[in-house]
Amino acid sequence: MNQAAPTPKENQGDPVVRIDARLKVTGQADYPADIVTANVAYGALATSSIARGKVSELHTRDARAVPGVLDIVSYGDMDKTDKPKFGNTGASSIGPLHDKTVFHDGQIVALVVAETFEAAEEAAMLIRADYENERPSASFDSKGVKMEPAAGKSPMFKEDAKAGDFDAAWADATVKIDEKYSTPTQHHNPIELFSTTAIWQGDQLTIHEPSQNVTGWKVELARQLKLDPANVRIVSPYIGGAFGSKGPMTARTAIVAVAARRIGRPVRCVVNRMQAFGTQTYRAETRHRIRMGARKDGRITAFGHEAWEVTSRPDPYVVGGTSATARMYDYGSVLTHVSLVHADRNTPGYMRSPPETPYVYALENAMDEMAVALGMDPVEFRRINEPEKEPIGGKPFSSRSLIKCYDQASDAFGWSKRDPRIGSMRDGDWLVGMGCATAIYPTAAAPCAARVRLTADGEVRVQCGSHEIGTGIRTIAGQMAAERLGVGMDKVSVEMGDSALPPAPVSGGSISTASVCSAVMKACDAIREKLFAAAAGRGAPLAGSGNAKLDLKDEEVVTETGKSAKLADVFKAMQVGALEEYAEFAPKGSSPEALGKLYAGQSEFHGGENDEDSVKYAFGAEFVEVRINSYTREIRVPRIVGAFAAGRIMNTRTARSQLMGGMIWGIGQALHEATETDQRYARYVNRDLQDYLVPVNADIKQVDVILVPEIDHQVNPAGVKGLGELGNVGTAAAVASAVYHATGKRIRDLPIRIDDLID
Amino acid sequence: MSDAKMSSGLSRRMFMTASVSAAAVMPLVNSPTRAAQPAPAKPGEPRDLSAVSMRINKQTYNLALDNRTSLLDALRDHVGLTGTKKGCDHGQCGACTVLIDGKRVLSCLSFAVMNQGREITTVEGLASTGGDLHPVQQAFIDHDAFQCGYCTPGQIMSAIGCINEGHAGSEDDIREYMSGNLCRCAAYPNIVAAIVQARDEIRRA
Repeated sequence: MNQAAPTPKENQGDPVVRIDARLKVTGQADYPADIVTANVAYGALATSSIARGKVSELHTRDARAVPGVLDIVSYGDMDKTDKPKFGNTGASSIGPLHDKTVFHDGQIVALVVAETFEAAEEAAMLIRADYENERPSASFDSKGVKMEPAAGKSPMFKEDAKAGDFDAAWADATVKIDEKYSTPTQHHNPIELFSTTAIWQGDQLTIHEPSQNVTGWKVELARQLKLDPANVRIVSPYIGGAFGSKGPMTARTAIVAVAARRIGRPVRCVVNRMQAFGTQTYRAETRHRIRMGARKDGRITAFGHEAWEVTSRPDPYVVGGTSATARMYDYGSVLTHVSLVHADRNTPGYMRSPPETPYVYALENAMDEMAVALGMDPVEFRRINEPEKEPIGGKPFSSRSLIKCYDQASDAFGWSKRDPRIGSMRDGDWLVGMGCATAIYPTAAAPCAARVRLTADGEVRVQCGSHEIGTGIRTIAGQMAAERLGVGMDKVSVEMGDSALPPAPVSGGSISTASVCSAVMKACDAIREKLFAAAAGRGAPLAGSGNAKLDLKDEEVVTETGKSAKLADVFKAMQVGALEEYAEFAPKGSSPEALGKLYAGQSEFHGGENDEDSVKYAFGAEFVEVRINSYTREIRVPRIVGAFAAGRIMNTRTARSQLMGGMIWGIGQALHEATETDQRYARYVNRDLQDYLVPVNADIKQVDVILVPEIDHQVNPAGVKGLGELGNVGTAAAVASAVYHATGKRIRDLPIRIDDLID
Repeated sequence: MSDAKMSSGLSRRMFMTASVSAAAVMPLVNSPTRAAQPAPAKPGEPRDLSAVSMRINKQTYNLALDNRTSLLDALRDHVGLTGTKKGCDHGQCGACTVLIDGKRVLSCLSFAVMNQGREITTVEGLASTGGDLHPVQQAFIDHDAFQCGYCTPGQIMSAIGCINEGHAGSEDDIREYMSGNLCRCAAYPNIVAAIVQARDEIRRA
């Protein structure tokens, strides 16, 4: 049996092979830095070696003397451009070359452009800066940080969730836990390096750069460079992993574009791995205090979640994951508060499940602690506190299959064989532990446009400016069209990743499947309508058949009663060669200007907890076995089982792969990933893939994904809940719980490393 | 914080260049048939281009390259074979894995000039001229052994090396001997399943 291609269950699509699979295994998929560009010059960045202060003088003479150096872009050279803006499209308001203030370590001070990559790198290294140096504040405990309430600082996080009388319930609770948790700084580290290639043809600018938001970038780059957006094109057909890192545009894009204009040649700048840590975004460290009170029978009566997040000095980046944790269980009363801590750091940004990964880690760890305190099975404890309505607004869930997920995952895992006593499941030299946790991710969608063309010979072309970051969106958009238009996948081509295509929202927040498929479906349905009207028209092949009873199958228009007409004949009757429809989808509740904003590069999200009718979330349950060597304390994860319900599954193959990859991310978060910061200099230390640990093949053994059938007509026309960011939520808490079960040690600060387990 | 000099951005490549003093200019993409002649060194330009002749995917390429040019950059920037990917340039991720005389090598850690006369195979050289995929390529498709696809050429070249070396005997062996190839999408279980399928197919052949 091929585990990669699960047999579809109810409301699940076929495990169709990725439409771009052949290109990817033959090296023919062109990532943005692969585009062969004639006469290209190479760029290399020089970055600051202090985190706070001012550049008093930049010495570039040695660099300019390197043979092959063509230009150096630095202070003053960006003056005719507008500064970047912080927001959904821009990573930070810091315009590194607009003024000489240094806001963080590794901030761009110059871009060297040379005939060769080697010359550019050599010259960049020869650039020297003199600084007016100030003592930086690195993180939570540093002197000089500025703390403020997060609510209202970001349009994504308007208020702290609360319900009922927490103080009274907390005072009355018979069983209480009051614990602190933390998650570390993390960098996305997609394997593809960040890069920008800028090509000018007259006043037309083309940028090849891996992007999760080509339309947004087009508009924002045009603003910075004071160009008509119609003259800017962002091309990003394949993206070598993103995880949020390629969502916001950074300052580099405009700098490379300016360099290319200055020298009158295309410029390509591939940022080295080390410099990416400071010039791109990252997941900032978080701290949490959770207070949970319960009755002896296991009912939670009070839930308090306070959290602190780090951001840069100028930008209020906030994830505010209390909006999800506050809606997870039937708490009785809820009190939350999120604080932002401004430090001398680069601005953080979205990283796979930005709010949920750190916040749900804290909640689910606390849930396990409370189950232990109650002497209750942790699955049973969650079952007891399963809500009928969400506890903050009292709205119903559009669908919630969490208990089904727990049932199916625990069966597959063999949870019933778990002996709950600490350290009781020893196997030779290995201490065995088992833990579980809940995964949750809000289901959202945003306005999206798509163009679909069907020709008389059954060829289908789908065009949509979404982004193939590895999720399989190109494949499932094609599947949606193939299904609605009744053709095989071999007849379908899908164009994505180009701002010249119909605009799609940012590929973030797990919205792409819902948004893109809904738009593609709408375009296909418009084609169907035209075809059916023609097929059933007077003198047409299926004259007299009612429209409603027609369908498209195997390149034929078919009736319920078994009559059929070849697509080619219907087209002939219509006297056309192709039908093309442009469709715009806007989720329920969209503002009147939502579609207009789509073309201006702004994505208006709907769903999650913000809709009027219901709250919309996808859920999952994960079970983990850990083995800890009793002598060395080496921690292994031999198996992990996750069951997830996310509405309609478009393709069981790509869905399983994403959830599997997410769970492995969760293992990495639990045991491996952390960017270490030198607190004295506010500088990242382990800035490469040797010292920034991510799971490798030998870290992973058995990963089982169960796709639990779920039907939800409320979420969006496609009935789809996003799942790209579901799999890695909760995993780290399940691992931490398993480590506790094996050793009796409750590790609350991630990652869990060998030294945490040495007595 | 007394050191006000630039210290970030130090890389392996820069470390290497620290002992040399100037750079040279080189042609961008060389044709496989035309022999490129190294430009004569000018005074004050002590760093010579070197003439390198390599066999890449069964074609001979004559290149004039900066001595510092890695095999990876030679393939991507000078030959135009961009299937081989750069993920770290430090030998830490495996994305640039190619076969040199049949053995897997990290092309970012090999100077192009070291490969004079060697037979190099990249992902572009695996499928037959008729378009039939190599068993490892087909197995990667069958088992969905990638998502974004960026590490995939390196994974495939490494998998071929792993099987050739006899290190694909068990799933545990495969996991161990494929751990130099990072996959951030984390397709690892699928990669192992793909290599098992390809191994068996290659053995049967």
